This record gives sequence, structure tokens and C-alpha cells, in this order.
Amino acid sequence: MSMQKKSLAILLALATASAALAQDGRPVAFVNARIVPITGDVIERGTLVVKNGKIEALGADVATPPGARVVDASGKTILPGLVSAVSRAGLAGGGPRVEESMGGGRRRGGMPMPMPGGGGGGTQNRPTAKVTDGLYAKQTVFVELLRQGVTTLALNPVGGAFPGLGALLRPDGKSVAELVANDSAFVQVTMVRDGGTKKLLKDNFDKAKKVVEDRKKPPEKPPQPAAAAAPAEAKPGDKPADKPPEAKEPPKGGEPPKPEPKPEPKPDQPPQGQGDKPQQPPQQKPPEPPKDPNIELLADLLEGKQRAIVQIDSAADLLHWQTVVADDVKFPRAVAVLRHDPLSGTVDQVIEPLKAWQCPVLLPLDLSTLPRSRYLIHPAKQLHDAGIEVGFVLGDNPQTLRFTMYRVMELVRHGLPQDVALRGLTLVPAKALGVDKKVGTLEVGKNADLLVFQGDPLAPTGQLDSVWLGGKEVPLQP
Amino acid sequence: MKCLPILFATAAVLTAALELPAQGRGRRGGRPGGDAQPPAAAEQKPDAAAETKPKKYTAIVGGDVYLGTGQRLSGATVLIADDKIDAVGHNLTLPEGTTVIDAAGKAVSPGFVAVAGYGMGSGRGAPPFGDSVNPFDPEIKQALAAGITAFLAGNAGGGNVPSGGNAVIKLAYGDVKGMLLREDSVVGLSVPLSLGDREKLEELVKKTKEYLVAVADFPKKKAADANAKEPQLPPGAEKIVAVLKGEARLWIQSGGSGFNPFGGGRRGGGSRGNDVDTIRQAMEVAKLFGVGVVLQKPTSAWLVPGEIAATGSMVVLSPRDRVPADPADPEKTGSNLASAAILAEAGVPVAVTCPVGMFGGAGVGTGGILGQDLNTPHIDAAFAVRGGLDNRKALRTLTLDAARILGVDARLGSLEPGKDADVLILSGDPLHYATFVTTALVNGKVVYEKGKEPLYRHIAR
Repeated sequence: MSMQKKSLAILLALATASAALAQDGRPVAFVNARIVPITGDVIERGTLVVKNGKIEALGADVATPPGARVVDASGKTILPGLVSAVSRAGLAGGGPRVEESMGGGRRRGGMPMPMPGGGGGGTQNRPTAKVTDGLYAKQTVFVELLRQGVTTLALNPVGGAFPGLGALLRPDGKSVAELVANDSAFVQVTMVRDGGTKKLLKDNFDKAKKVVEDRKKPPEKPPQPAAAAAPAEAKPGDKPADKPPEAKEPPKGGEPPKPEPKPEPKPDQPPQGQGDKPQQPPQQKPPEPPKDPNIELLADLLEGKQRAIVQIDSAADLLHWQTVVADDVKFPRAVAVLRHDPLSGTVDQVIEPLKAWQCPVLLPLDLSTLPRSRYLIHPAKQLHDAGIEVGFVLGDNPQTLRFTMYRVMELVRHGLPQDVALRGLTLVPAKALGVDKKVGTLEVGKNADLLVFQGDPLAPTGQLDSVWLGGKEVPLQP
Repeated sequence: MKCLPILFATAAVLTAALELPAQGRGRRGGRPGGDAQPPAAAEQKPDAAAETKPKKYTAIVGGDVYLGTGQRLSGATVLIADDKIDAVGHNLTLPEGTTVIDAAGKAVSPGFVAVAGYGMGSGRGAPPFGDSVNPFDPEIKQALAAGITAFLAGNAGGGNVPSGGNAVIKLAYGDVKGMLLREDSVVGLSVPLSLGDREKLEELVKKTKEYLVAVADFPKKKAADANAKEPQLPPGAEKIVAVLKGEARLWIQSGGSGFNPFGGGRRGGGSRGNDVDTIRQAMEVAKLFGVGVVLQKPTSAWLVPGEIAATGSMVVLSPRDRVPADPADPEKTGSNLASAAILAEAGVPVAVTCPVGMFGGAGVGTGGILGQDLNTPHIDAAFAVRGGLDNRKALRTLTLDAARILGVDARLGSLEPGKDADVLILSGDPLHYATFVTTALVNGKVVYEKGKEPLYRHIAR
């Protein structure tokens, strides 16, 4: 213990010094390091140069730039920083454990506890609500996670169905403004096995699909003169193309909340007809129903302009998802499994549909067991062997995170290739968050988010030596 | 040993009898390509469907096939097409590509139907059932190991008006849609009713019957008078309509706090171990509705089998339940191990269940030694055999008659063409205590194999 404290103290001194140096814009060169870039081969003995917060160069024969601060990393291993794509650290004022707080109360058999409208935090229909609206900055959890190596941190809203927009955080931020890197990083979708959630999923994706179809329709009106366009629209039957939607509309004229009857390109026409339309709904086009921002967002998602993290905790939940969300509802997604649930089937029992989605799957960093037995099973290996990209849910508890590498070691020991396991801590969750261009690997031009380990990171003797965020060393003690 | 020749004779007769359905392949209509002589107009559609999706055939070959109706075919084949039974018999021609499961030396039987249960993947156990079923519940495997392939989940109701929210759940492991067979198959009512409640019920049933007549007449009325009012369903009569139309079975249980509660095992059988009065009240209800009802675990049914049979009613029993007789009147009180035999003799369909809980409660326990106790349906049926029930009829108490009691006998309960392919392959006589399920199929898919599940694979059979 005292040894550790001593070394920590030394590190702290170093850290303060280096932080000051880095701020000068002086490059930092890690020499004699074992570099694990995640993509590409491990560099057994090489140099990694950091400049202006980015990785400037890395390789076996990279020269130390003049004036650089040199860090001797002999016997050390450099990995990219951990990416935590599923967390609710700092929400509701205290960073409860992600495993407990997300996905709802559970009963035996892995059944969601709350009745219709259930799921932890209840079934929600607010895809556009920002999770950062509930963020309280003055908490130590972010920096505690950073000290454990989490250099990229997501914040996921809680609740069944559509609980809101997830955010991307800078874990060293001191205020909300500094903390939030992107308050609309992804749409959170949470599958819960109950009627309310299933109905919402079905209805909202159906509506979003319609909106997408409408958007695809060629904007017929603008090219024509405005005067000619209005009557053409008012008289059904003039154009065969207009007919089906027009015929559908009149009876529904009085119901603004229903977004289905909006086949026309909305932004084009409203000013013209609005004066007389309300009076004669049967013949004229009714006023445009107001756009539902929630559905618009989901339409963006279906068009690939947004991405989603879809929480599905069990094989049973996934099959239920399939009963309400058709396979042709495609969008950029990562599936997040927050806990292995042998009582509702671990997700390795539904590999085929998961494979068909062609998306990364984030799994708990643990082995599981066959239900009601002690037979170990390895869902991560099963998925990897089936060709699915596997990442991990790191959780948001700094205490648990201390054992991240130990848990990875267990998975590797049971047959998951080491490079796959390490990719699952970094690049795969970065992909899930859509930030794999910036973080997740050690490549030139990427953020200099580095973890320096003493020894083999997975070995019990290995330990996290220092954490670098954007080229700056993170003080390991407050 | 005595019954063996009889069995063989039956088998021979049946083989002949079964040629027809075997060749006819699915006498039940509605299945694509299932009808032997489909109407000319409908002919093309099934053909097109058959072309786009070829059927997947599975054959269980060489086993002693218990049909569930009380008959047995030795060394016969059960041919399954997709999720339905296609044919049962000897010398069947197997279509090309049929997956063959060898059952030589084993018994083949319809999956057992538990008339009540909980857990086993039924999710929340409340409507809407389809939205919360858990097709990966490990209890499903336990239930399959006990031979159960379908059960009634949820609340069978009770109280002074017909009520309940339940569903027949199939143990289709790994298949969400295959798990729900039917919702609200059963409606429950409690007896005895107070005089007031009884009058109310009579009034409501009368009004509902009038309503149904009015509904039937409505199209005619509407044609004569465009302004004719549509008949209105009397408030609170939805469940009564279902019973009257034959869409739901009316289950009658003892009110518990009444004068003469049905047995209920440990409660001592009510007034001096005799509940004939309560049974008669239930029979009055049956007459009121004009349909047979299902009596839940009556103690004294063995005293009045004729009265029960006369109304077309059925009985759920737990042969292991014991209600002590009143020493003052031992001939007319207490439970009787021979109940099932006596009722079956009188023509009353009987289902057996294990002796716990309301409405049977056939939940597969995880208690007992390492959660592997033998609290399984076939043991309960075996107790009925011990009480004198014919061995072949005893299997019906778990299969066809249990399915009738749930109102799903059109789909479950026997190995007949057109029915759901819920089939067990057993290591021996289905009712022998040492028998284990070796393979279970639900909806035509293998969902349990003894050798592959950690439950009983260590026990050699």
C-alpha cells in the first residue's frame, strides 16, 4: 500500500509537471514503449509522439522530435483510452450503478417489474429529450472514471422505449458546458418486454417510416408556378400520383396529432391554402398536421443521419423486439446488453437476428452461466465466433472499473482472442458512439487519449500507470 | 400383462382405421394444402403457398404411439409437417428430406396439458400475455422435462360473476409467437352463490341470451327497417357471451368461505368432508348456461357422477389430494382415490393435476432435492390408475381431456392429423414412475432433449 502511495505521489508530481509542459504545446514522446494500437500490429518497442492533443506519430523507428518531453516507457504498454458507451454516471445526483439503474426493476425470470408503462424510469416517448438536461456537473464521478481510464464517456437516458437523446461527455469538464461534448450523440432506444413499450416501438417506427417516405417523394410543387400548384393540389383526381393520399385525407382533416396523413412536402405550400382550407375540409387540403419532432428525429435515424444505442438485455427481449419492429426498419445502431440474463436467455441464443443487424454488440464484461446451473458460458466468444463485432459495457462505477482488466483477462482466459477483447474496450464502443474517427485506436491524427500500463495490462501484476486525455496527463489523485 | 392382447387388438383395428386420416393428410381445413379436396377456387392459393415455402417434415419412427385418445399404435410413425401433425400410422411414405427421429423401443405421446400453472415462461402472468412471455425461461425446460407442453397461465377468475384473465401458453422454447395459443380460454365463477348473487346471475344470463338472439336477428331487422337499433350487450356480460358461444369454458370453484367448499385438500373438505351440495349448485349454473362446466377439485364428485355427466360437465382432480372421511358417515364423506375411475366410468372427462394451489397449480417446482423432484403430471395420473382408472384412459387425463377442459382440444391433446405437433418421446410407458421424457417437440420443433440439458442427463434410461 505504502509503495503504491509513494509511487502515486511521484506520479502526481510528474503529472503536474507534465500537464504544465503539455500546455506549453511541447510535444511528448513516449519512447521504448510497447504500443498496442488496436488496429494493426502491436509495436513491441517503439515511440509514440503526442502534439497539440493529437497523436503525431507512432512506430518502431519514429524519431523523437526536437524539444519534446521524453517519457521513458520501458516495460510499459500504451493502449488507447477506454470508451464507455453505456453509462448514467452523474445522473440523478449520484451515479448509481449502471447495472441497477438501467433497464428497470426485475423480478424472477427476468421479467420487467412495472406494469404497462413500465421499465426503469417507465416507458418513455420522448426521443428528443436531452439527457444532459438532467446533468449536474459538480460531481467527482467523471474524474474518478477518467482516473480508471475512461477517456470517452457516454451518458444514456433511462427508461423503456424512447427515453431521449444520449450525450457524449468530456470527463475532465468542470461545468456542464465543459462536460458536454455532444448533447445529441445518439438516440437511446430501450427494449422492455411489455405492451406499452412494444406498442410505442411499433407505432413510432411506423410513423417515422411514413415520414421518410414522404421526404423521399420528389418535391413536385416548387418547380411549378405557385398559382398553378395550389389548384392542382386541391382537386383530387387531376394527377394519379396525388390521388391515393388525397383520398385518404379528408375524413381525417380534423385530427392534427396524427402524423400519417402528410403525404405532401410540407414546407412548400402552407402559406397559400391556409386561409380557406379550414372552412372546406372535404374539398381542400386540410392544414398540415404539426410535425412531431420525435418522429422527425426517428425519421432522421432511419435515414442514417442519427445513430442509436438499442438496449436489449436478453434473448427474449430481442425476439419481442422482432415482433414489433420489422426487419426492414434499418438504422445505424449498436446493441447494448447491460447484464447477462440467463433467465430470459443470454443474447448468444439469438445470434442469427443479431448478425442480420450487422451492428456492434456491447456485452457485459463477464462470463455467464447456463440458467440455474454453474456451467459457464461465454456469450462474447459466441458472438465473436459468429462474426459479430463485440464490445463491452464498462459500467459507470469507478470501483468496479478498477477491475476492468481483470475481467477482460477472464474473458481472454476462456477463449476470447486478446485483440478482440481490447478492441471491445476501445474501438467498438467508439463505433457505437460514432466517434471512431477520433478515438478508440492509436493512429496518427487521433486524440491522444492514452493509457500507460506497467507491464502486461491483462496480467494481475500489470497496473495502470498513467492516463492521458487529449495529450495531457490526468492527475491520478485529486 | 392381461391387457396386452387387448392393446394389440386395438392397435390392429386402429391401424386400419387410421389409414384414412393418414392418406387424407389433415382433415381439418384452413391449412394451406391441408384439405384432401379443396374447393376449386381455393386450390391455387395453397399450391402457390406450398411452392414458395416447402414444408419441413419430421418423422418420429418406430415408437409405441399413444394417440392421447386412449388408443395405442405399436411401432408406428408420427409424421409432422411444419408445426402440425400430418399423419400417424404404419407404413407411411415419408416425403423426401424428412428429418427422421428414431423412437424404437420408446413411447410417443401427445404433450401433456397442465390445466393450470404459473411461471414457465408466461412472463407477467397477466394480460396481454403475448407481450411479456419469456421464451427463454429456464422453467420451460423443466416443464418440458416433466412432459408439459402447454398450460393455462394467469387467473381463472372466480367471484360471483364470471371473470378471469388467462391464456393457454405453449412451451415453444425460443419462439415468442409460438407461445401464445389463446387468451381468455377459461372463465371462472365461484359457488355457492348467495341468493341475491344468484338472481343477478340468472338475470344477466337471461339478458345475454336475449341479446344473442337479437344479434342473430339483427340483419333481418335492419333489412326491414333501416333505423333498427343495434342490440346492446348487457353491461358486464362479455364473459357470459364467451361462455354461451362456446368460446370459453366456465370453470367453477368453491368460494372458499362458503358453506361447503370443494375439497381443497388440506382444508379438510368443508362440512364433514362432503361437498355434494356445492357440486349441485355448480350443476345448477351449468343448466342455467346450458353448457357443461368444469368443476375444480370437488371432493365428493365420486358420489354424484351421474348428475355431473348429465350436464356434460368435466372435472379437474388431484388424485393425491386426501380429505379425511367423517367417521360418523364414512360411506358418504371424504375423498376417494377411485374418484377419477368412477367419474370416467360415468363418462365425465377428467383432468388430473398436482395437489397444490388454486385451480390446480401445476407449476413445476424447483424445490425438492436439488430442484429435481418428481412432482410431475404423469405421477398424478398414475395415482388415478392406482385408484382403478384404466391405464389408457389415464393418459387422457393429461392430454385430450385436459385440452378439452381448457377448450383447446381442437389443437392440442392428441396425435391426430391437423393438430399441433406437440409430441413427447418417452423412455417407457408414459405413466410409469421411472419414465423420463427423452425428447419433446412443440410446434414441430425439438425443444427439449434429455441428453443435452443439465436437468436429467445424468440419469441413465
